[in-house]
Amino acid sequence: MIKIIKKNKLPFITFVILSIFPFFIDSYYLNNISYFMCWTFISLGLALIWGMGGVLSFGQTAFFGLAGYSFAVISINFIGVFGVGIWSVILALLITTLFGLIVGYFLFYGGIYDVFIGIVTLAITLVLETYLQQTAGPEYAIGEARLNGFNGMQGMPTIGIQDLQYGLIEGVTQYYFILILAIITLIFLYRFKNSKLGLIFLASKEDRNRVASLGHNVQKVQLIAFVIASLLAGISGILYTNWGGYITPSSMGLVAAALPVVWVAASGKKDFFSVFIGTIFLVWLSQTLAINGAQFAIIVMGLILVISTRFFPDGIILMFKNKLIEKIKWLQS
Amino acid sequence: MLFNIVYQFGDALAFLLLSAIGLAVIFGMMKIINLAHGEFITVGAYGTVVSGKVFNLPLPIAMAAGVIITIIFGLILEKLIIRYLYGRPLDSVVATWGISLIVSQSFLVIFGPSYEGLQTPLGNFKLGDYSYAEYRIFLILFAFLLLGLLYILFMKTSFGTLARATIEKPEIASSMGVNISNVYSTTFAIGAGLAGITGALYAPTMTIVPSIGQAFIVSAFITVVTAGASPFIGLIPAASFLSTVQTSVTFFYKATIGIIALLFSVILIIRFLPKGFSGLITKQK
Repeated sequence: MIKIIKKNKLPFITFVILSIFPFFIDSYYLNNISYFMCWTFISLGLALIWGMGGVLSFGQTAFFGLAGYSFAVISINFIGVFGVGIWSVILALLITTLFGLIVGYFLFYGGIYDVFIGIVTLAITLVLETYLQQTAGPEYAIGEARLNGFNGMQGMPTIGIQDLQYGLIEGVTQYYFILILAIITLIFLYRFKNSKLGLIFLASKEDRNRVASLGHNVQKVQLIAFVIASLLAGISGILYTNWGGYITPSSMGLVAAALPVVWVAASGKKDFFSVFIGTIFLVWLSQTLAINGAQFAIIVMGLILVISTRFFPDGIILMFKNKLIEKIKWLQS
Repeated sequence: MLFNIVYQFGDALAFLLLSAIGLAVIFGMMKIINLAHGEFITVGAYGTVVSGKVFNLPLPIAMAAGVIITIIFGLILEKLIIRYLYGRPLDSVVATWGISLIVSQSFLVIFGPSYEGLQTPLGNFKLGDYSYAEYRIFLILFAFLLLGLLYILFMKTSFGTLARATIEKPEIASSMGVNISNVYSTTFAIGAGLAGITGALYAPTMTIVPSIGQAFIVSAFITVVTAGASPFIGLIPAASFLSTVQTSVTFFYKATIGIIALLFSVILIIRFLPKGFSGLITKQK
């Protein structure tokens, strides 16, 4: 444990600072930061498959939406049943991972590669969006839960255990819940990166045929990574649904599908910690710009993206991180 | 009734072909994942409508102005940003996404949420109980003409040979004395110009809004991808197949199900025909 901290001083300091935030800032800003952190999981999943394995997928959004919708449908149907706020989450994540397994099997064992993966996953996302958009009528209902077309679903119960102090995932509890989940995810991803599977996956990005001819089952490793990524996207989807109390088809549209790709690429797709910070920063930035700059916000956002890929191809946050570690001797391990 | 179905099919076919034609050069040949393709079309559409309204130009000249504006726009972008992205296809996603945000939002700021459009040229003709727009028929024919010209340009002329050689092996082309930087920017400008033509052609048929390009981008990508490695050969069979699926499913069910069927058939084509329709054709030869 101490060894890990010594090796990763910067992430450690960041998380210590993040964990004392609730004592200094009011609940409005705290909820906002929770919202930003909701999005980090979908980005981290993409950083895993794209940054490590070179698999560019626009399908993270499909898993995001599927998890959000599954959680909403299940929890609305069984509202009031004991522990629904916990097992509906687990069920929704199971559905998402199963879907990820099917899609991943179809992709990797079907011999689909490179940019074709991007197009197939984009098509899957858009199919889900198009289908859910036209579910406005009362005939589109799963049990008690109406899908509501464009307007999306709402009225789902909060994650957690009712009748228990701090049992529900909201407010400060939500903040710590997401923060701890993010720390666990980051540690898991770093361990995966250094495991045997991770190394095979990393090598498959450079030359998958060569890795296969060395006797490794590349497809299996790619599938495992893809399923992990879909699970992470699902976590984001459920946290997002829980945070706002709603989920709409537009969370699976073309714009939504491109956003994680943009966040990950602009932050630095090769480094999980940079992606974590970068996602928070970029979601914050687009929100702040939208509130203050109104119509110029999106132009500024576009400029940041263009400039960062033009001048900092490895990602702007990763570059800052490396500069910082270079300047401050103490941060080096 | 039969003509009605053929007309619907032709309309969908022309839409797929024209939305894909510029992207066939930029993505199909140059391998740049151009998410700003829709915005190139937007530039062409606005160029046409604004020059037509402000200077009171007749439609064909306004369209030419729109195309020229798009070519200039494409050339500037290539010089400033795109040329640093050759050989980095995945980074091009982010940069072109940024460009698309900047362009569509700038149009919103400058021209407002919607701009008064032009009238659709040519008349209507009646056949049976339905009336049809002649302009739509013109679009179908023009799409085929444009593809034919493009095929000749890239497959039969010396520029086409240079362009294909440069994109295939830039180092070797360069060492043989080809000015690859010029070839790249010319090819990119051709792609941008074609997108501009699409925008100009559809400008009189649609409400001109800043997000007009969004209507084209998904169709463009799926058509180019199903067309396969040699987009100019594969584009027509790919677009014919996709529009058949879309029109027949839309005819029997409804438009949203038609779109879903379209997307599903794309997934299946990529899975079972990884080289696309052009792979199927070149294999038979």
